[in-house]
Amino acid sequence: MNIVVFIKQVPDTNDVKWTENNNIDRKNMESILNPVDKQAIEAALFFKDNYNAHIYAVSMGPDNAKNVLREALSMGVDDAILLTDSKFAGSDTCATSRILSALIKEKLSDFDIIMFGQSAIDGETSQTGPSCAVRLNIPFITQVNKISKLSDNELYLTSDTDEAIREYKIKIPCALCINNYSVSPRLPKINGYIKAQLYDIKVYNHTDLALSEDKIGIKGSPTWVKNVFKNKEGRMCNFLDFTLDKSNCYNEILKTVKEAKINND
Amino acid sequence: MTNDIFVYVELNKNNNIRPVSLQLISKAMQLKTKLADSKVIACIISYNQDWESISKIIGNYGADEIIIADDEKLSLYNNSLYPEVFTRLVKKYEPSIVLLGATTEGKEIASYTSTKLETGLTADCTGLDISQDGKLISTRPTFGGQLIADIMCRTLPQMATVQENVFGFEIKNNNAVIIHENIDLSNIENKVELLSSKYKDSSPSDVGTSKILVSMGLGAASEKGYKLVKELSDTLNAALSGSREAYEKGFITKSQQIGQTGKTVAPRLYIAIGISGANQHLTGIKNSGKIIAVNKDKNAPIFQHSDIGIVGDLYEVIPELIRIIQADNKEE
Repeated sequence: MNIVVFIKQVPDTNDVKWTENNNIDRKNMESILNPVDKQAIEAALFFKDNYNAHIYAVSMGPDNAKNVLREALSMGVDDAILLTDSKFAGSDTCATSRILSALIKEKLSDFDIIMFGQSAIDGETSQTGPSCAVRLNIPFITQVNKISKLSDNELYLTSDTDEAIREYKIKIPCALCINNYSVSPRLPKINGYIKAQLYDIKVYNHTDLALSEDKIGIKGSPTWVKNVFKNKEGRMCNFLDFTLDKSNCYNEILKTVKEAKINND
Repeated sequence: MTNDIFVYVELNKNNNIRPVSLQLISKAMQLKTKLADSKVIACIISYNQDWESISKIIGNYGADEIIIADDEKLSLYNNSLYPEVFTRLVKKYEPSIVLLGATTEGKEIASYTSTKLETGLTADCTGLDISQDGKLISTRPTFGGQLIADIMCRTLPQMATVQENVFGFEIKNNNAVIIHENIDLSNIENKVELLSSKYKDSSPSDVGTSKILVSMGLGAASEKGYKLVKELSDTLNAALSGSREAYEKGFITKSQQIGQTGKTVAPRLYIAIGISGANQHLTGIKNSGKIIAVNKDKNAPIFQHSDIGIVGDLYEVIPELIRIIQADNKEE
């Protein structure tokens, strides 16, 4: 049984640095493994622990994205693949899903399950997983928080969305997008850590995946960014110091509450 | 290809139209005025509904046409069948813009359809407009809300998803033309089987619709803090919500979480208690009428996004506030 878990290196958006011209200073920002992707790795390891599955971790990004692959290896993933190519740069979700599904078709066609974190903190689109599933013509479930068992090529799992908790049975091969996973991601063991450092990560570019240049990167992306600006929306705050004048604070709050209630139609 | 705008209409567990669908129809009606010879087409997939009253409601918000795909196999949402049905309808009607709610269902359908049609999709938009040359401009926060981007699409249809309450409602009272579509589902294989479905309770005053929200952050994330915030929200007859940190600490459920990874809300009054104001949280509250923030730290970013900022310790501020509001409630 083969499981492929796709993971992403993302800038730590809690620690954004700015250049003088109000651009994001990517060079000086920390890169981290997208948090929910760690849960996806843990969920993939469920199949290694219980069904002796072979786990591949795959990431697309620059050479230093090898760091997040080593993190996955140290947790217990068996193999790691980096998709890196200057031609991949600027890919939107549509182009990215072409690249990821091309890897599956060209190199890992005997897969059983592909897995994703539900969304990435730098993009938050939640589209890549379902989009890859569509390209591979396999079913998918999103918001998967629990995997129960595999039986007769059918997988039993739970999906926890905003409105409902649903149990599903899905035929493999399939795609899963993981969120709020029931088991906390494991910490690497020392052997895993050593293995991760010694492991020779496989690297593929667009020709390895038989992708034509006009289908990938900026050229192959249907969406393009017209403008980017710093989020400067704000309000004029009327500051009230509680320690200086309590009753003024309460009067202002009460007045605002009453206004909101009058409008309570 | 037409200049029409397609809006996916989603039903909730009680078979009511989700607010986001009507908000999208209202928005589509605004966009239509900037497009030549354009119609707003609402598309709804279900089984055996009271189509007449549903159509009337949709018409009230202005759709020109309502396309109904009605089949026994479509009685519940299913991510093998619904996305394929929707894709076929988009192919047939050739709209230039396709809008869906950024719900689980809407996002799954949007991903499926955009991939099948090899077109672009912009998720979780906070603004939609039409450029001078008649193209859709989709505005969305990115980089955890630190940046705002205007995104264009060079292929057709141009697709976007939008969270609930990002846009408002506008009554138009159109008489929409109803079109029933028969879709042959026999050749769509269903590889996913729903075994059970348990809907979550929504509290009496639901986070998405409540006029007043009392919201807790990391600063209030203690047993004592939670009790105070809960009592305040009860006193105000408001709904209780919170930040991602409050959710991660287990004080609120996912459906009470506000922000880019939770809900977008637009109450008349948002009271932020012990919330520092991470960008991803601010994205979810910016459409609120008034915002009051209570925080110890004068430099907390939340204050830059509030109308009234109480600089103080919530454990001192809130108990007295509860008493004052209770006293005021009695007077009324």
